[in-house]
Amino acid sequence: MTQTQSAIIKLESAQELRITMDQYFARLKDAAETGNKKIAWCTSVGPAELLYSMGFEVYFPENHGAMLGSGKQADKYIPTAVAQGYSPDICSYLTSDIGAFLQNETPLQKSGFKSVPNPDILVYNTNQCREVGDWFSFYGKHFNVPVLGIHTPLSINELTPGIIKNVARQIENIVPELEKVADQKFNIDKFRETIELSRAGCVLWEKVLAKAKTRPSPINFFDAAIHMGPIVVMRGTQYAIDYYKVLLTELEERIANKISAVPDEKFRIYWDGMPLWYQLSNMAKLFARLDSCIVASTYCNSWVFNDLDPADPFTSSAYAYCKLFIVRSDTVKENILEKLMIDFSVDGIIYHDSKTCQRNSNNHYGMQTRLFEKNSIPYLEINGDLNDPRCFSEEQSIVAVETFIHQLSNRS
Amino acid sequence: MYKLGLDLGSSYTKGVVVDNNNQIVDYQLVKTGFDYKKATGKIIDKFSSKYQIDFPVYTCGYGREEIEQPHIANSEIIALSEAVFSIYKRKCSVIDIGGQDTKYIKINDHGQVDKFRMNRKCAAGTGSFIEEIAFRMDISPPEFSKLALKSTREVRLNSYCTVFAVSEIVGMVKKGIVIPDIINGIYNSIISRCTELSPVEDFLVITGGVPDNHPAIVSLFKKTFKDSESPPRSQFLAALGCVLLNNQHK
Repeated sequence: MTQTQSAIIKLESAQELRITMDQYFARLKDAAETGNKKIAWCTSVGPAELLYSMGFEVYFPENHGAMLGSGKQADKYIPTAVAQGYSPDICSYLTSDIGAFLQNETPLQKSGFKSVPNPDILVYNTNQCREVGDWFSFYGKHFNVPVLGIHTPLSINELTPGIIKNVARQIENIVPELEKVADQKFNIDKFRETIELSRAGCVLWEKVLAKAKTRPSPINFFDAAIHMGPIVVMRGTQYAIDYYKVLLTELEERIANKISAVPDEKFRIYWDGMPLWYQLSNMAKLFARLDSCIVASTYCNSWVFNDLDPADPFTSSAYAYCKLFIVRSDTVKENILEKLMIDFSVDGIIYHDSKTCQRNSNNHYGMQTRLFEKNSIPYLEINGDLNDPRCFSEEQSIVAVETFIHQLSNRS
Repeated sequence: MYKLGLDLGSSYTKGVVVDNNNQIVDYQLVKTGFDYKKATGKIIDKFSSKYQIDFPVYTCGYGREEIEQPHIANSEIIALSEAVFSIYKRKCSVIDIGGQDTKYIKINDHGQVDKFRMNRKCAAGTGSFIEEIAFRMDISPPEFSKLALKSTREVRLNSYCTVFAVSEIVGMVKKGIVIPDIINGIYNSIISRCTELSPVEDFLVITGGVPDNHPAIVSLFKKTFKDSESPPRSQFLAALGCVLLNNQHK
């Protein structure tokens, strides 16, 4: 258990990723400065394809929230939002993002932005949580621009035709308002094309994640949490497809050359819940030191929308975005997790109980003990938060993870 | 030659000298403060003047790497389990109440950790919780425990938060509830926090600085868990376990 220097082998595609993300932000900056394209703000699992198909540049506040978290800046901004009446117990993406906005600061300023790009319209889908509606409403009021919401039922057990029809209609219903703001007519062929680009990107992303089924795995959760950027913000564009082809090729080469993400992979872990953005690097080193690879996660696996179908773009959008893990019933979630444990040959599960993200913490209603009764895979619960480092005890968590891996070593 | 085990905890650093028969021959306890190196230096100096210490020393606890001398670091949970199993040699549950942490550990028939849980990032249910309340009530820890034994009626403390717990206690005093009953309520609230970590299914071993310094809480535990025990000087067990783990690996 004595600490030795960990060795993490970084993906060479990281350079291409940086270029891809820089270009995305450059397009947004250009739109913000010149006004040559309208800007829509969208939730991370909102109808990005529709927005891209109508010529918007699309900005994702959650991506900005993750940037604040990974830059270890969130706790500087959260109190400002709390002072405005936003509880410290609600989504710390929301509180850090609004707090940073109120302080007129953003990590995008390092890329030449004056501020976050002003929206012409905001579009959210409550499939992930109710907070997104409150979050976007704050900005809608501030910028005096329309806020459109798709209200997806929660805890969906069966994806009934009624639910899909309802959500599909809601997506269709926002089109006229989008047309007004975009100042262009909706084009169904363009939408079909964007849906196909999104589907193709998701298929590639799924293939990337599936490479971790190989033992040893060429990619871990910490890589995936960073390299998922394009599938979140450029879903429905060729840019995401081009990037994931590069990444997939590198992973295939890694497998052929027996290069693994964790040099001496002994234990394969599943991560449930949000990343600890402010601890990503430390956690990556910790797990590498313990010869443990986090091979799959609920978080990264959530951006797989391969049910999108250009033949029926509205209905398939509704289906894909209602099929999402986070919006499903606990029964469905439990079955999904159980299958993932088998598919990725998992030795242990870590549940991150995120203080401000109840919806993405799956250890609140006994699922961890039910799953253990089914598959006998040991689990560990870590208390923390996606963005607010004040909710996380690094020392306690390190002891817990070290002990957990020791526990797994007794079983092998 | 003697081996040295050190548990560098958040509140106290505990050191034990262990002979070739794995028996503790000497103990040291110092306040950790903010300087682990200073705390361990004090212990090592004292022991080195009396015993020939075989380096490296074996460490666990939050400061397990914060030591200048050659050392091998361990998880305090594994170390504690090793020591507990060396005493009882049977399947058991352990509840350890330290300065900042409360832990539940389930040890199997082979002495391995089958399951463990730790408290959330909150002082409720830990030694710091009692220390703060005792300080605010101006009662010394030994007196605190003695007073609890005089309790005649059960009162319930509802606050998790230390600060709010103090306010609640002030309210209880105003209502005329006597101090022994209040202290008993504080101990029961700690037990409640501990038992939230996991169901206790087996023989229970209670360890840590809190049971060592507050015998009244051990008595209360025993009321709920008939098959339970708190070994003497239990807060030194993790330090002993560090040495035992190393012997096992050799």
